[in-house]
Amino acid sequence: MTMLKLRNLSKRFGGVVASEDVNMDVPGGKITGLIGPNGAGKTTIVNMITGMMPVTGGTIHVGDTDITHAPAHEICRAGLARTFQNIRLLSEASVLDNVMIGLHRHERSSTMAALFGLPAAARETAEMTERALALLAEFGLTRFADYPAGGLSYGHQRKVEMARAMAAEPDFILLDEPIAGMNDVESDALADIFRGFAAAGKGVLLIEHNVRFVARMCSHIYVLDGGRLISEGTPDHVLNDPVVITAYLGGGDDA
Amino acid sequence: MSGFIAGYIPLLDLYLIHLGLAFSQYIVLRAGVFSLATAALAGIGAYTAGIFAVKLGMHPVLGVLAGTVMGMAAAIVLSIPLARLRGVYQAIATVAFIQIFVSLNIYAEPITGGALGLNGIPKTVGTGILAIAAIAATYVIWAVERGRLGRAFNAIRQDEAVAASLGISIVRHQMLAFALSGALAGLFGALEAYHAYALDPNQFGFHLLITVLSYVILGGRNSVIGPVVGTAILIILPELARFLAEYRMVIYGAMLIIVINYMPKGIADTVRDAVRAGRLKRRGEDPA
Ligand SMILES: Nc1ncnc2c1ncn2[C@@H]1O[C@H](COP(=O)(O)OP(=O)(O)OP(=O)(O)O)[C@@H](O)[C@H]1O
Ligand SMILES: [Mg+2]
Repeated sequence: MTMLKLRNLSKRFGGVVASEDVNMDVPGGKITGLIGPNGAGKTTIVNMITGMMPVTGGTIHVGDTDITHAPAHEICRAGLARTFQNIRLLSEASVLDNVMIGLHRHERSSTMAALFGLPAAARETAEMTERALALLAEFGLTRFADYPAGGLSYGHQRKVEMARAMAAEPDFILLDEPIAGMNDVESDALADIFRGFAAAGKGVLLIEHNVRFVARMCSHIYVLDGGRLISEGTPDHVLNDPVVITAYLGGGDDA
Repeated sequence: MSGFIAGYIPLLDLYLIHLGLAFSQYIVLRAGVFSLATAALAGIGAYTAGIFAVKLGMHPVLGVLAGTVMGMAAAIVLSIPLARLRGVYQAIATVAFIQIFVSLNIYAEPITGGALGLNGIPKTVGTGILAIAAIAATYVIWAVERGRLGRAFNAIRQDEAVAASLGISIVRHQMLAFALSGALAGLFGALEAYHAYALDPNQFGFHLLITVLSYVILGGRNSVIGPVVGTAILIILPELARFLAEYRMVIYGAMLIIVINYMPKGIADTVRDAVRAGRLKRRGEDPA
């Protein structure tokens, strides 16, 4: 089973240390948790993994492939997808179009076919439309297909973003606070979806502030504070670790 | 009656040429590049064709082909430094490129005819050929829009970081949009050369930039109908009241300011969005 491996990963913004010597393993087929108070450096880790921020030090591997300095679009092609903490949909485009863009990785028609509207290009568009509709059905979004994504409720927008990320058929999916602002019913529905990803063999990295939710979902949890890993292990171990308790109480956080 | 139609032929020809140029401007904006280089790229195509005709005595088909290729080549080269810039800096750099084109053209007098321009190009292109070229260009833009390229361009234009995270290569797609823009500008520039007997370097300067940009901004930047409508309106409008023709540039400038403020999506896109919204409303579901 392939593994997403971070070794001594570091990031500095001028004087601010956003991440320092972080070592993490995200295995396929499991949900791995990443928690920590506000500003702990969780999003920074995801930004580095996905090539959206240059790495200051350390390495990132998917299996044996070094993606530390690869550009973002190649990292996607290496099998990584993400969602964003602050939802980033193409808000004027329809829900269907948003998900279709996620299918880009699977598009194969030649540039000539695309330029001249050859049958190969039309077939591809039809096929991608089918696949996108199937994904929308999986996420219960079928009836919103034609609506501009920006007009949907917060919870639905999150689902569209997840469907878009899944469209790429990644081996690993990085979820940055996917249930923020959702009620229990909605987050339970998403919990099932996340378990489905893992059951399908994908590695899931789940970033969440809701510690109970993470504890319920993950077998292994990493805890960040001030850019450093302060604890890791089973939910039981981590949540009873005095260092973690101090970090959360000290941070005055919503945990 | 036929006299009446004949009176409008020059206007139709102008429309067909400018529609091609409008698509050249449209396609880069569509891909999220704020380039205004179309005027200069058209000039490169036109002068290449003109030089092929007047100095080298080549067949017009070769001249048009060479103009298209040169426009495309110049655009590809230009796309390399432009890939490092964003937004208004791209606009400034491409305006500078237009200045360079016009100046070099004047200096290179032995080849280009300098400030006097290039004269005596055989008129071989008429309304028929222009119409074929304009229809072909419209078709290509339409095909691009419907396929994977249009989807990738849309994503890049709206959010580059998201596009990249979904596996879309921004550099590659923007270079492709540029190449297409350059080929269109070069083609219609070359057709203009064979249509107009003579070329003048200032023909491809700031005026043309504003004119072409106006077509796209007024018509709409996100559907193939946009340039078709925008170009038609701005070419016909000054003809309706002849006294306006003299103030063409004033009208275009004022139109740009008004449209940007009150109808930022342009006519075609605004109408299209309204139709869509109406259709969804009739279906009677509330997305939220
Ligand atoms: N682009 C940036 N420039 C400068 N500093 C940044 C940048 N991005 C993040 N930081 C800083 O890095 C630190 C970690 O931020 P990050 O967003 O990774 O935290 P987080 O754990 O995701 O927090 P939250 O729970 O609030 O989402 C913070 O101090 C933040 O201010
Ligand atoms: Mg964060």
